[in-house]
Amino acid sequence: MLPMTTMYFSASVKKLTLLCIILVGMITGGIVSVLASDPPDDTKQTSVAVRIPLVEGVLPWDDPMSAVWNEAKVSEFNLAPQVHWQDRVQEVTVMSVKVRGLHDGEKVAVLLEYKDPSNDQADAAALEFMVGDKKAHFAHGQEMLQVEGGPVNIWYWKNEAGKGIDMSAKGFKTLRTQDQQDVSAKGIWQDGTWRVVFSRSLQTNDEHDAQIDLGEWSSIAFAFWDGKLEGDVPKEKGSQKSVSSWFPMRAEPPPDNSVYGYVALGLALAVAFELVFVRKLKKGLSA
Amino acid sequence: MKGPLFNSAIILTGMYLALKFILPLLTAPLPSMLISLYMLLTLSALMIFYTMSGTSLDEFMGPIARFLSGENQVGIAKPARLLVLVVFPLLVGWQTYTKLAPSDQPPAENRTIHPAPPGEFVGLANPYPKTPENIMMGKGLYAAYCSPCHGANFDGKGPAAPGFNPPPANFADPGTIAQLQESYLFWRIKKGGVGLPVEGMPWKSAMPRWEKELPDEFIWKIIMGEYDGAHQSPRTWEEEE
Repeated sequence: MLPMTTMYFSASVKKLTLLCIILVGMITGGIVSVLASDPPDDTKQTSVAVRIPLVEGVLPWDDPMSAVWNEAKVSEFNLAPQVHWQDRVQEVTVMSVKVRGLHDGEKVAVLLEYKDPSNDQADAAALEFMVGDKKAHFAHGQEMLQVEGGPVNIWYWKNEAGKGIDMSAKGFKTLRTQDQQDVSAKGIWQDGTWRVVFSRSLQTNDEHDAQIDLGEWSSIAFAFWDGKLEGDVPKEKGSQKSVSSWFPMRAEPPPDNSVYGYVALGLALAVAFELVFVRKLKKGLSA
Repeated sequence: MKGPLFNSAIILTGMYLALKFILPLLTAPLPSMLISLYMLLTLSALMIFYTMSGTSLDEFMGPIARFLSGENQVGIAKPARLLVLVVFPLLVGWQTYTKLAPSDQPPAENRTIHPAPPGEFVGLANPYPKTPENIMMGKGLYAAYCSPCHGANFDGKGPAAPGFNPPPANFADPGTIAQLQESYLFWRIKKGGVGLPVEGMPWKSAMPRWEKELPDEFIWKIIMGEYDGAHQSPRTWEEEE
């Protein structure tokens, strides 16, 4: 005599088998994917990127001390003395920088916060970006031997100038101030710490500028000069500065809620599948 | 509780525990994609095995069908069935969310650390003999030009190292210069970071293009000093033959 289940199954055995296999597979797959998720990589610094969220309300584009900056994510980057090309420097004052960014959909503001024991006229800071689709070397877009590189856009602030300067370079000794100035900057020194805010429209109509597309990852690099006078000359000037190489940067897009719609759809489909499935099972078993 | 279904559950659980917890004791942990793939293969094997004959299929599927249908259920089976029916759509929802939720992580960069050198730098031999004088001169040059990043101890921990991404190479690590020939180092020192091919991401490298500042003789002697100081030997053609 055949087992009971065979009698139950004989009615619509093909359909039921298929359905059972699908369901068992889906449940097992789901459970495994939950259990097998990779743990977060602890070796990576959490601050490896500059994330620039969208801020509601007024962007503190010219106020480095604004409380609105507390809404921004802080990332800290180590810096190095510029030892990549001549003239090198072996010791520098600024060894790390805290970076925050905010945008309002039109304009972006980036706040640099770093320690410098003295407030000097020649103190300076700069941000660097790649321009266009070609990769540019972090050292002023210098020539690469096997890769065709692009230019860089540099946003420069110097204490004595008290404003931002929009610059371009493609290779050493090509640094120049752009004809069209789009960058603002303001620095405030307090208790041995500079807070310098740079700002600009996310998009400009200048082909020499880096354009910041919402949601797209791009690259950013930093440079700092301690202008403390040693004799008659600043301690750090020109290529003698603190630098970083490229780090990832992204101006975050407005929140996308469509994902919740898809989740609801997925839930509804799963429930509908269950209802049909259980009905078929009951039919099959009672047949 | 014994039966094909129970056996399958035991096999799947055992497989999962082995892949997730026991295998990493012997080798590197498996990525989640691979664990999922192996679990899927195991499940497929079980399905194929239990669907080979009508009897085994019924033994395998019968309990599932009865359980899910809810017919004539008593005791713990009732809430258990309800739980399964609730958990399944939640899993689907969770999966949908994790697949579609926007990531705030930068795209992964697959930088090749030791890309192939240009043809003219393959197989060059160091033209300078490994005399104590040459090695000592190489170490002196290394101290002057290389140690700010690569470190006085050849460990990649020079005072300028923390600021660079990617970090300077650690020559004491058996995975760096010990894997390379002297001619490879000659290329990397002479042409620097900007000499790398696209897969080496030259735009991020702070390695100077030393040919602009140092004669070839200095570079060959620095290589000698580097190997000696890091207690490594260059990879040679003889070893490969």
